[in-house]
Amino acid sequence: MADIERHDYDVIVIGAGGAGLRAAIEARSRGLRTAVVCKSLFGKAHTVMAEGGIAASMGNVNSRDNWQVHYRDTMRGGKFLNNWRMAELHAKEAPQRVWELETYGALFDRTPEGKISQRNFGGHEYPRLAHVGDRTGLELIRTLQQKIVSLQQEDHAEHGDYEARLRVYPECTVTELLLDEGRIAGAFAYWRENGRFLRLEAPTVVLATGGIGKSFKVTSNSWEYTGDGHALALRAGANLIDMEFVQFHPTGMVYPPSVKGILVTESVRGDGGVLRDAEGRRFMFDYVPEVFKGSYADSEQEADGWYSDPDNNRRPPELLPRDEVARAINSEVKEGRGSPHGGVYLDVASRLPAEEIARRLPSMHHQFKELADVDITAESMEVGPTCHYVMGGVEVDPDTAASGVAGLFAAGEAAGGMHGSNRLGGNSLGDLLVFGKRAGAGAAEYVAGLGARPEVSQADVEAAEQRALRPFEESGSAAAQHPYALHGELQQVMNELVGIIRRGEEMSSALDELAELKDRAGHMAVFEGNRQFNPAWHLTLDVANMLLVSECVARAALRRTESRGGHTRDDHPGMDATWRRRQLVCEHRDGAVTVTERTHPPMRRDLLELFDITELRKYFTADELGEVTAEL
Amino acid sequence: MTATLSDNDNAVTDLPSDAPPVPEGATMVTVKIERFNPEVDEDLHWESYRVPAMPTDRVLNMLHYIKWYIDGTLTFRRSCAHGVCGSDAMRINGVNRLACKVLMKDMFAKSGETTLTVEPIKGLSVEKDLLVDMEPFFEAYKAIKPYLVTTGNDPSRERTQSVAERERFDDTTKCILCAACTTSCPVYWSEGSYFGPAAIVNAHRFIFDSRDEAAEERLDILNDIDGVWRCRTTFNCTDACPQGIQVTKAIQEVKRALMFRRR
Repeated sequence: MADIERHDYDVIVIGAGGAGLRAAIEARSRGLRTAVVCKSLFGKAHTVMAEGGIAASMGNVNSRDNWQVHYRDTMRGGKFLNNWRMAELHAKEAPQRVWELETYGALFDRTPEGKISQRNFGGHEYPRLAHVGDRTGLELIRTLQQKIVSLQQEDHAEHGDYEARLRVYPECTVTELLLDEGRIAGAFAYWRENGRFLRLEAPTVVLATGGIGKSFKVTSNSWEYTGDGHALALRAGANLIDMEFVQFHPTGMVYPPSVKGILVTESVRGDGGVLRDAEGRRFMFDYVPEVFKGSYADSEQEADGWYSDPDNNRRPPELLPRDEVARAINSEVKEGRGSPHGGVYLDVASRLPAEEIARRLPSMHHQFKELADVDITAESMEVGPTCHYVMGGVEVDPDTAASGVAGLFAAGEAAGGMHGSNRLGGNSLGDLLVFGKRAGAGAAEYVAGLGARPEVSQADVEAAEQRALRPFEESGSAAAQHPYALHGELQQVMNELVGIIRRGEEMSSALDELAELKDRAGHMAVFEGNRQFNPAWHLTLDVANMLLVSECVARAALRRTESRGGHTRDDHPGMDATWRRRQLVCEHRDGAVTVTERTHPPMRRDLLELFDITELRKYFTADELGEVTAEL
Repeated sequence: MTATLSDNDNAVTDLPSDAPPVPEGATMVTVKIERFNPEVDEDLHWESYRVPAMPTDRVLNMLHYIKWYIDGTLTFRRSCAHGVCGSDAMRINGVNRLACKVLMKDMFAKSGETTLTVEPIKGLSVEKDLLVDMEPFFEAYKAIKPYLVTTGNDPSRERTQSVAERERFDDTTKCILCAACTTSCPVYWSEGSYFGPAAIVNAHRFIFDSRDEAAEERLDILNDIDGVWRCRTTFNCTDACPQGIQVTKAIQEVKRALMFRRR
């Protein structure tokens, strides 16, 4: 066997989005020799697409905001299924992470006093999202990238080597985690450019690989989102939790077909945009669910009054959490009140002066002008739900981001628990920073307490190499499968049978189809070209990950016989309080995915006391409430 | 695959039999791509493909079509697919554009059949097909110290910045590092050591940031022989910028700051 490029680190961070870069900065600052491995060029991660902002209760715009209010909003948004400790840490630490980002040099829109400005967003009680226009994610990535460049220049000044303590491996894909008696020992990867393999040795790995959206046909996610981290964790023996919860963002573009799924930021609604049916009616007033009655306006007059006087008016129902709005749009279209291309209208043109729209929402203005030939300052946008985010992910310890596998950590979208059954807009960027930092710190503590370093076995490296090269051998086989075609079929199955509205029989047939696809995927082949930047080969390895993760989504979704957050069952339409404390855990044993059920630990008393008992009654069972009432 | 530029000019690969049905309203166009596979090719060469185009398709859709249904080895970078990440800059009909932001209806010929040419951006070495080595581009970016430099006590919370101060450098904060500007610059084509417009734009972003204290240092860097004085104000960069940044203006502002050494 040819010699494989080999490197030794203390931590390998997989993924260079917000979570990965923040983890890498933390690990490097704590003295760890750090590698960042990412599939795209450095600075192009999916985080750049986040438009709305970072939710953090700094109280710059409304001084009544604080971490307790943010915590309550997050738990409500997740329908009380969130890991409450993660939601607590996030709410408490997000402001520090935003201020820290500002000291790194991040640009923000400012209040008249020069403080970081904050905007309204769905599910957030006060204006809370720190932002820069509608390109906050891009600024977040750019700032972290700049911070890393500055750290590398410091290292060069000190050691004469830019990469002495932190090296980025761009356009490089990890295909396997390497273990030593159940502990992380390293990772196996290939350079996309030349197809050569890499053996990276390290006692810790931080998974910051983002989500799984490319398993669905209509999605706002970019090509990197193939569930790599989810699949790597599963195969290494870690658990995935909450995989049935997939967020469909209510407002994706629906026309033209070439851009279907691309996101229309929620800020359009936060800044005054409203949803209308084909007749021009604001239909969201019909869709305020029981649990949110009382917090949302019931007339257009009151809703419109809220933008200028939030203390004396309730919020417009267009700003309900995303799952509610997505379902409402779906119902309107199904009942024949949709727009010509199967969406509804998002109208900001009749609500704000043209120049104000162009100033507050410049990217949206350009996006619609250039891609759909629609001037959003003059006409409505056609929008509909698009697969946007997976709430489920690697089960981690909230404080250290450690998974159940020694040395394996996860943060950001790849980790589960923080958002429960539904993520609030703006809570993702905060999640990346808060838990990215914690994962870097967790890895550093683990390395400090490590005795003998785990060792990579040569046999594992050879097995990983064989697995990666198999598609080249399959091209001659009679059963050879085309990866592009197979990927298309997978996306169709997930979109139609495990999509926004789910039914038992459909998910059973999805599982049959996934099993059949899995058999065929074993014969995915590279028909043309060699290992030199060969996108067809790369896709064969990504599709294997997507199939494994899709099976988790389908199995967990079939098991949960209620509707909650990002999981809507047509055959079990109501939220069932007996399901609130039940969590579904996916494991991978002997090549098969199993789902088991577990009970959430009860919320800590001081956190529980932040809620009114009448609100808790909407979510908790009578039995649980008995305990709660006794406690309060 | 190893044909030279002229040999293959007229050979057009048609739709394969298993391609999906051509959608109603689509026009057949010829997409001529400059290709290179370092494993087998000595030189760059053109290959042409006939593909269906809807008026609302973007050039990126054409490339995906070719990759998915005709030649799975066609290589190009793309990520977000709507002009935010800056991965898919290429030369489209001779000008630098992001493939995800060019609509086919704007490419259709006034009369007769449309031929679209797609080449890698110029001035950086081609690794495979439309993919170029971005390393020299990022080296120039790093050289201007693209990060906030301050001294003394870090603020315990945030630095305040007035709306006007923040507005001063807003234009140059929009850069997505796609390299469309730098690789449209005739000076950069002939002198690869020139920092190039993108690096200067990013220097501008910090030089005019009220919170930053290293403007002098950056101005010294750009006063170098390969710095701003190489710019011959051809405005190619401004035309090429998919973000609409006034690139040439930013370069002129840096020149002026150097001449007067004031912000």
